[in-house]
Amino acid sequence: MSRRAELWTGAAVLVLLAVAALAVPLLGPDPDATDYANRLAAPSPSHPLGTDQAGRDVLARAAAGVPTSLGAAVVVTAVSAAVGLLVGVTAAVAGGWVDTVLSRVVDVVLAVPQLVLALAVVGVLGPGLTNLVVAMALAGWAPLARYARTFAAGLLHRPYVVAAELAGVARPVAALRHVVPATAGGVAAVATLGLGEVVLGLAGLSFLGLGVAPPTAEWGQMVAESTTVAGQAPWLVVVPGALIVLSVAGASLLGDALAREAP
Amino acid sequence: MRGPSRRIAQAAVTLVGAAVLVWSLQLLAPGDPARRVLVANGVGNPTPTQVAALRAELGLDEPAPVRLGRWLLAAATGDLGRSWRSGAPVAAELADRLPATLRLAAVALALALIAQHRRADLAARGLVFLGAAVPSFVVGTLLLEVVVVRLGIGRVLADGSWGGAVLPAVPLALAAAAVWARVLRAAMLEVRARRHVQVARARGAGRLRVLLVHVLPGASPPLFTAIGMTVGSLLAGAAVVETIFTWPGVGPYLVEAIVARDVPVVQGTVLLGVLAHVVANTLADLAAAAVDPGRAR
Repeated sequence: MSRRAELWTGAAVLVLLAVAALAVPLLGPDPDATDYANRLAAPSPSHPLGTDQAGRDVLARAAAGVPTSLGAAVVVTAVSAAVGLLVGVTAAVAGGWVDTVLSRVVDVVLAVPQLVLALAVVGVLGPGLTNLVVAMALAGWAPLARYARTFAAGLLHRPYVVAAELAGVARPVAALRHVVPATAGGVAAVATLGLGEVVLGLAGLSFLGLGVAPPTAEWGQMVAESTTVAGQAPWLVVVPGALIVLSVAGASLLGDALAREAP
Repeated sequence: MRGPSRRIAQAAVTLVGAAVLVWSLQLLAPGDPARRVLVANGVGNPTPTQVAALRAELGLDEPAPVRLGRWLLAAATGDLGRSWRSGAPVAAELADRLPATLRLAAVALALALIAQHRRADLAARGLVFLGAAVPSFVVGTLLLEVVVVRLGIGRVLADGSWGGAVLPAVPLALAAAAVWARVLRAAMLEVRARRHVQVARARGAGRLRVLLVHVLPGASPPLFTAIGMTVGSLLAGAAVVETIFTWPGVGPYLVEAIVARDVPVVQGTVLLGVLAHVVANTLADLAAAAVDPGRAR
C-alpha cells in the first residue's frame, strides 16, 4: 500500500467506528435493555450480531463500546502526547538542571513497564474507567517526553531557530513559536503509533474488571462477561475482539503513515 | 567506571528511583487508606475508632518520608510488608506463586523464540499482525474454549506444572513474537544491505555462513533489547492470561489485590515486575555490547 492509501485507510477505519458509535444508537435497541427470554440468540435480522447472556443486543453494545474503548484510548493518547510534548520541549529548551531533573524523572517512569505501572496506579486509585484513563496516561507520557526532548534538542540548532534568537526573540517565545509546532507533528505521529497498544491495554485491564462498572458496555468487559458461554455463543467473543483488532490496525496504519510523513 | 560496571550502577540507581515511584503512587489515592481497607473488606460504614485502630496497626500515622524510607530498607532485605487483607508477609505469598509464573514466562519466551525461525516473509508479517492486533484475552478465551473444552486436551483448572504451561503461554508468546519479529526483520534487512555482508557474499560465502557470521551478530542487539523489554511487561500479560486459565501464579494475586485495594501486595508485586524489567534490560544491553562492541560504547 502506498503511504497515502495507508493514511486514508487507517483514518477511514477509525472514522467509520466513530460514525457507527453515533449512528447505531439512533437505529437499534437500547444497549443496556435486557431480555432474558431471548438470551444468547444467534445473529438474526432483529439482532444482526445476536444477543448476549442477558439478552442485550450485541450490535448496540458493540457500538456503545466505541467511546468507552476506542474513545478512552484516544483521550489517554492525547493527554500523554500533550504532557510528553510539554515536558520534552521544556527539558530541551531550558537545558541545565531542569533538563537533568526532567530526564531522570522520565528514566524512572520508563523503568516501570507501561501496563505494570497502570496496574499499580489502578491498585491505589481503585477500579473505574476514569481511574483507568488516568493510570494509562500517567504511564504513557514518558516515552513521548523522551522523543519530544530529542526532537526539540535537534531543532534548537536549526538556522531558523538560531536566527530568531539572534533577532532578539526571547528563548521561551522562540521555543513556543518555532520548536513546539515542529515537535508537535512528530509527537502526534509517534503517539498515534502507540494508540493501538493503548486500546489493547485498556481492553485488557477492563477484561480484568478494573475498568467500567457493569452494565456499561466496553469491548474488553464484553469478552470477560461471556467467557463462560464462549462455546455456545462465540460471537460474544469474536465481535468485541474484531472491533479491537480493527481499531489497532487502523491506528497502526495511520500512525505508520504519519510517522513517515514527519521529518 | 566504564562498560559493564557503569551500566550495572546505572541500573541500580534506576531501580531505586522506580521503587520510590512505585511506593509514592499510593499518595495519589484520595481519602484515608485505613478507611478504604475497612470498606474493601466489607465493613460498610467504619467507625472513627475502627479507622484509628487500623491506622495505628498499619503504621499510617507516621510521615510519608519515614514510611518510604522504612519500606525501601525492608524491601532491600526482601521484606515487602504484610498484606492488608490476610496479614501474611507479602514476600512469602509472592514466593508461593512465583514459580508458576516463571514456568509460564519461560515457556512463553521459548515459544516466541521458536516462532522467530521462519523463512517465509509473508507468514512472518501475518504473525506480526496477529500478535500485535489480537488481544491476548481473546486468543486465550478462544484457546480455552476450543482446545480444552471442545477437544478435551489439558484441563480447565490449571495446576501450574510445566506441561500445563504450554497452552496459556501461547497468547503471551504470540504478543512477544510479534514485536520481536518486527524488530528482527527490520534489523536483518538493514544489516544485509551493509557493505561487509555484500563483500562476504561476493567472495562466495555460503548462505548459512553469511547469516550466522555476518548478519545475525549485527542484527541481534535490537532483538536483545526487544526481549529485555518483553520480560518486564510479561507481568501485565500474565495478569490477563493467568486469570483466564486460572493459573496459580502472581497475576491473579495482583488482580485480587488491586480490587481489594491491598496496597502492600500491589506495591510488592509491581516492584517484582520492575526488578525483572530492570535486570532483563541490563542483561540485554550487556549482551548487545558483547555481541557488537562497536555500538554500545
